[in-house]
Amino acid sequence: MKFLTIAKKEVIDISRDRRTIIMMVVVPLFLIPVLLGTVLKITKSMAKKASEKQLKVQIYGQEYAPDLYQAFADMDKVIILDQIPTDSIQSYIQQEFLDVAIHVDSDYKVNIAKNGQAKIRIQFKGTDSFGITKDRINGILKKFENQIVSERMDRLNLKPEVVRAYNINYEDVASRQEKFGKIAGGWFPYVFIIFGFMGAMYPAMDLGAGEKERGTLETILSSPASRLDIVLGKFLVVLLAAFLTAFLALGGIAVGIQRIPDIPPEVLIVINEVLNPKTIGLIMTLVLPVAAFFSALLLGLSIYARSFKEAQSIVAPLNIVIIFPAVIGTLPGMELNAITSLIPVLNVSLASKDIIAGVINPLYMAEVYMSLFGFAGLAIFWCVKMFNWEKTIFRS
Amino acid sequence: MIQVQNLTKDFSLNKKQRRELGEEYKNSKTLRAVDDISFECRPGKIFGLLGPNGAGKTTTLRMIATMLKPTSGSISVSGSDSVSDGQKVREQIGFMTGQTALYDRLTPTEMVKYIADLHGMDKTTFQKRKNKLFDVLDMHSFADRRIARLSTGMKQKTSIARTIIHDPPVMVFDEPTSGLDVMTSRAIMDLIRSCREEGKTVIFSTHRMGEVNQVCDDIAIIYKGRFFYNDTLDQFKEEMTQPTFEDEFIYRVGEA
Repeated sequence: MKFLTIAKKEVIDISRDRRTIIMMVVVPLFLIPVLLGTVLKITKSMAKKASEKQLKVQIYGQEYAPDLYQAFADMDKVIILDQIPTDSIQSYIQQEFLDVAIHVDSDYKVNIAKNGQAKIRIQFKGTDSFGITKDRINGILKKFENQIVSERMDRLNLKPEVVRAYNINYEDVASRQEKFGKIAGGWFPYVFIIFGFMGAMYPAMDLGAGEKERGTLETILSSPASRLDIVLGKFLVVLLAAFLTAFLALGGIAVGIQRIPDIPPEVLIVINEVLNPKTIGLIMTLVLPVAAFFSALLLGLSIYARSFKEAQSIVAPLNIVIIFPAVIGTLPGMELNAITSLIPVLNVSLASKDIIAGVINPLYMAEVYMSLFGFAGLAIFWCVKMFNWEKTIFRS
Repeated sequence: MIQVQNLTKDFSLNKKQRRELGEEYKNSKTLRAVDDISFECRPGKIFGLLGPNGAGKTTTLRMIATMLKPTSGSISVSGSDSVSDGQKVREQIGFMTGQTALYDRLTPTEMVKYIADLHGMDKTTFQKRKNKLFDVLDMHSFADRRIARLSTGMKQKTSIARTIIHDPPVMVFDEPTSGLDVMTSRAIMDLIRSCREEGKTVIFSTHRMGEVNQVCDDIAIIYKGRFFYNDTLDQFKEEMTQPTFEDEFIYRVGEA
């Protein structure tokens, strides 16, 4: 039971470490909601700003299409300019003195009159936020075009069915939960995984390399505790830190979601439906072995390092190794199958999507557990080996 | 009692290490850090292990404390074998190095309690022993302050307390005064003496001849892993051909 003595001491020790507390509590619980809220607020205000912006439009050949010119002139938040020479259009748009240049051909009227197609060329800058300029211009033109088409059909005595041969009616059989799970489900375990990893990082480095750096390793190695006790005690604390950080990150998301301004109520209902204790519990059973896997991995690498600094340089690239499969799992089209369910981290991400969507295949799920527990077991075995290996423990 | 018989320790070398060690180790896969040494440390006596840096002192002491496994030979501590009965050996020893080896975020009380718990001490015994040690070392005033905020002297006292909290019959000191100021070094030397007075077996490694002269009963000089002197300090003094201990030590190392 010496491992419990070691674990107890390590809990006291790391709970007094400011870096660990910041990473474990402050970042997930306070920073996530603040960041989530701020990012969404900024995005929303940018979109609003772009849609409310006064569009500066010049119509070249307006004399050929006075009705179209009038349609633009009648629009809200549109300013019609008429002084910009043709050879300066590009530079004016580049410098944002002009938003859109519309070119109407001289045969516009003739083409419209004989039920033909009138050519309209539009110049704009496609780098504005959200493509709103293009959408607004398109909206005006579409409205005007519909008006022309409708007049033509009246004139020719045609019904709308003539140009719309199909009456298509889409009926989506996927439940709201399923859709939400497939689209956003991957992001929840992604947050657990990333934060779990981040939460384990500092304690692992402190409990391995930090112990070497302080010279306390010899104190503990010369105590009656066996190497297995030492590894187990430390491993449990790193795992606890990883798990606690992941949980607090979930809390952070929950708070963050409530802070999202004007979240549609139906989305909130789905989120609340999906994030029930059963689903979270099931996802946690996946997060636990993956957290065990990288806790053991981090601890093993940390004990290999000569110093805290070296441990940091070894562990930092691992972030990418962890993040990469987690991100891949969030991509649409990535599905849990016999192969992906064997790849650690990626399988957690994909399985969580299916769990949230309520369509998890029990066979694949068993495969995921097998893979995760297998990898966690291997990592723990390797970590114990690292602690037993004289070359590692006294590496200098 | 510590009994060491034909102790040898080899470390395997990688390519980089072979290159760094030069021509001598170019084709060697191992480095012999300790080479067939035998000695005995008796209760109530202080055994001084003397040698320059890299001579094999720390490796020897780490093998005694079961941190390293011998390549060959045997070590017995109070009748327990260091390889087959490592835990029993560790229960018998107190290990101290030049570094204070403390956890900055714990208090002296927590630090000492941690070691006591690892040694399986019960609450009452711990409380009695802790109070006694804290009285002797005058530690009560800073017993509940974080170690990071203590002075070097206070840290050293805490380090002493955690080394002897379980009242070990065998004490292992690995260059305990290295890097310490005169006052703190003296406190350590006093601790070593008091261990002898209490009848403990003490092994003490150093490269300072002056310290050996102050406290040791028996000495061994180790160089490149081999002993080339192992007898009492009195005998060493009798055999001296140089004017001072230090000169004699340097002379003998040069001769080796």
